[in-house]
Amino acid sequence: MNTTKKRTFKIFQWLITIVIALIILIPIYWIFISSIKPNEDLFAVPIEWIPRHFTLKSYVTLIEQVGIVPQIINTLIITIPTLIISTFICVLAAYAFERFATKKLTFAYGIIVFSALIPAIVTARPLYDFFKKLSLVDTYPGLILLYISALVPFSVLIIRNYLSGIPTEIEEAAEIDGAGFFQKIFYVIIPLLKPAIATICIINFINCLNEFFIPLFFSQKIKVLTIGISTLPRANAYDVPWDLLSAMGCIILIPIIVFVMIFEEKIMDGIMAGGVKS
Amino acid sequence: MTKRNKKWWLPWVMILPVILVRGLTTLYPVIMTFINSFRDMDVIRGGQGGFIGLQNYIRMLSDDKIATSMEFTIIFTVVSMAFHIILGICLALILNMKFKGKKFLRTIVLIPWAMPMIVAGRAARWGFNGQYGFINDLIGKFIDNFHFDWLVNVDTARIAVILVDLWKDIPYFAILVLAALQYIPGDIYEAAKIDGASSIKAFFSITLPNIMKTVMSISIFFTMWRVTNFELVYAMTSGGPYDGTSVLSYRILIEAFNNLNLGYASAIAVVLFLIMLILSGLNVAGMKKFSD
Repeated sequence: MNTTKKRTFKIFQWLITIVIALIILIPIYWIFISSIKPNEDLFAVPIEWIPRHFTLKSYVTLIEQVGIVPQIINTLIITIPTLIISTFICVLAAYAFERFATKKLTFAYGIIVFSALIPAIVTARPLYDFFKKLSLVDTYPGLILLYISALVPFSVLIIRNYLSGIPTEIEEAAEIDGAGFFQKIFYVIIPLLKPAIATICIINFINCLNEFFIPLFFSQKIKVLTIGISTLPRANAYDVPWDLLSAMGCIILIPIIVFVMIFEEKIMDGIMAGGVKS
Repeated sequence: MTKRNKKWWLPWVMILPVILVRGLTTLYPVIMTFINSFRDMDVIRGGQGGFIGLQNYIRMLSDDKIATSMEFTIIFTVVSMAFHIILGICLALILNMKFKGKKFLRTIVLIPWAMPMIVAGRAARWGFNGQYGFINDLIGKFIDNFHFDWLVNVDTARIAVILVDLWKDIPYFAILVLAALQYIPGDIYEAAKIDGASSIKAFFSITLPNIMKTVMSISIFFTMWRVTNFELVYAMTSGGPYDGTSVLSYRILIEAFNNLNLGYASAIAVVLFLIMLILSGLNVAGMKKFSD
């Protein structure tokens, strides 16, 4: 390629990058400026794209009246045990599926992965009645159980794929050194799986934050952030409480954006690992 | 007896937690849904749960709301998937370019994927508002006195829902396609270049055939998600206007939790499930044919 052609191509690359960035960022920027505008300016037509007045009133309302802090705590109370338990049971299962690969086990693996295609709406109502009988509705253990279940197929798939790349010789060496089975799992396998575990924890963390279906149906009193934002009180006559909604949107979006910026490569790898082999 | 034989139960113990969790929360309720679809469970009209054969299914045939839901579910899935595949491949090609802005672009693209659908949907509900939304504001910069009530008309509400779906999910689709792009060895392109193939020709004769299998297999999942999509409609339009955007899964929700007719909701759910089975069967068959 000659230099002029190269330069034109470079300009094209940046142009298209800017267009994509604008398409993605303008709505997010609009949510952000809306959250810090005083009410008079919020309903100004045309929209003030560079706000002239700032206020944190909506954020204060969220903390003092809507109770966003307990919602954040609830989200974490559910998310953290979910991540720990799901990772643990999925590593165990993935190990069994990969290393013992008998016909029956492979069949069980197929069912686990296939079950991811069953839409939650198909199972919601009978599952609700079943949980009611066990008095698990609106409890942390019940919600955690459902969150774990939602993460299982993807996590098992990723860990199993990763395990298949680890040679068995390493394990055999540990066995010769006299390591017991569970010693081997804890001291040899889990350290080797660290990159895969980090990846699924990052992706699953985002999935837990985004989960909406489960808390919508299976809890009333325990509110997480996604439910909080969909049940904001209407502070004005409009269809959408946009002042509070935009502020709450920001509270949810800012940590997610920071998280994505830090872990961009890990997240990319994780998503791609799930795709190629499925 | 070898050591492994003595411990035949070991792998089963290891997978037990996973099997229990999935069995309890998906397999068991699916079976219950299937059984319930043959029962009269219309609480409001005094249904006692007796078996009524296919009546719930027969009722669907003459239910206008089901017809509307079915219509929009199909439109939504087909239109959205067509754009996912075309724009998704384009975006993947852009993400695969080597230049200084690569890291920036990849980070930006992850944001819609990482944010909750409920936030995107609720924001879009206001964004498409005729008077205060930013969509009309931006269009107004190019066309004077532009005003349009997107979410009040059925057709434009449908367009708006599809647009938000594309905004949120095309990046995810593109990243999955990108994975396949990275598996194509670079020297094939070198060889094509030496043979004098243009980049457009290289795209159709090298890139496209190489990523086609991945595109088709991820399309299965994306199609399923479109068919069962419910959050976006819940957040953005609540199924309106005039039920115009109430996809099938949204209708199941209304029947099961608002109209308290579990039998009927189950019948719709079973139909939805069958549609998914047929679709994935077709897709798998298509892929087999493609790889042969």
